[in-house]
Amino acid sequence: MAIAVKLDALLHERRMKLTELAERVDITLANLSILKTGKARAIRFSTLEAICRALDCQPGDLLAFDPGGQDQSQAK
Amino acid sequence: MAKIYSAALPVTYVLLRILVVVNWLYGAAIVTLLALPHAQWILKSFEMSPGPEADRVIWGMRAVAVLGLIAVPLNYAILKRLIAMVKTVRVGDPFVSDNAYRLQAIAWFLLLLQLLSIVIGTIGKAISSPAHPLHLDAGFSVTGWVAVLLTFILARVFAEGTLMREDLEGTV
Repeated sequence: MAIAVKLDALLHERRMKLTELAERVDITLANLSILKTGKARAIRFSTLEAICRALDCQPGDLLAFDPGGQDQSQAK
Repeated sequence: MAKIYSAALPVTYVLLRILVVVNWLYGAAIVTLLALPHAQWILKSFEMSPGPEADRVIWGMRAVAVLGLIAVPLNYAILKRLIAMVKTVRVGDPFVSDNAYRLQAIAWFLLLLQLLSIVIGTIGKAISSPAHPLHLDAGFSVTGWVAVLLTFILARVFAEGTLMREDLEGTV
């Protein structure tokens, strides 16, 4: 996918564990793992808002566009 | 959401299994009829004497029997796919791409059955005469063709639904 999720780097910067973030944003650890490993197909605005609030960051800090990645619209 | 128990599913499953057996018996019956000397039976049932018209009726009836035999594997293909679909509903996971493909295949088989029915109906009309009328339950059927269209549309709806479900599963 051409959209890269930089959750791992953000967590490292904030010295926060994924389990702690899961508790703070009230999202299951499994779902956060899906997001962290780049396996998610979509992210809700509510999830994005909760993560940005918990990590004190902007959506752009969490997501990045990688032009070399696989085009998801062609993948279907 | 709580699952709602319905007796329709197990009943449908058993019914489909019975229909598979009935379909094979129907095929076996046609093969037996074709294998046995059947010309005299046909003449007797039509109250005809041997002659050119009788020959026409005999060959027409043979053609109808052979076309009826072609319907056996088509029926089986439909029933087999329906059983597989019912199984996916029973395990609680019917919105899978396999079911969309199955529905599309069923639509094509239904289309072939409708075409077969038209050919059988045409033969029936061709060999029927005022003196020896023949009424075959075959030919063009509006409901049959609506069922074909409906199945094609349903297959497409299923395919779209499956994609939407995959998207939903991957939404965080």
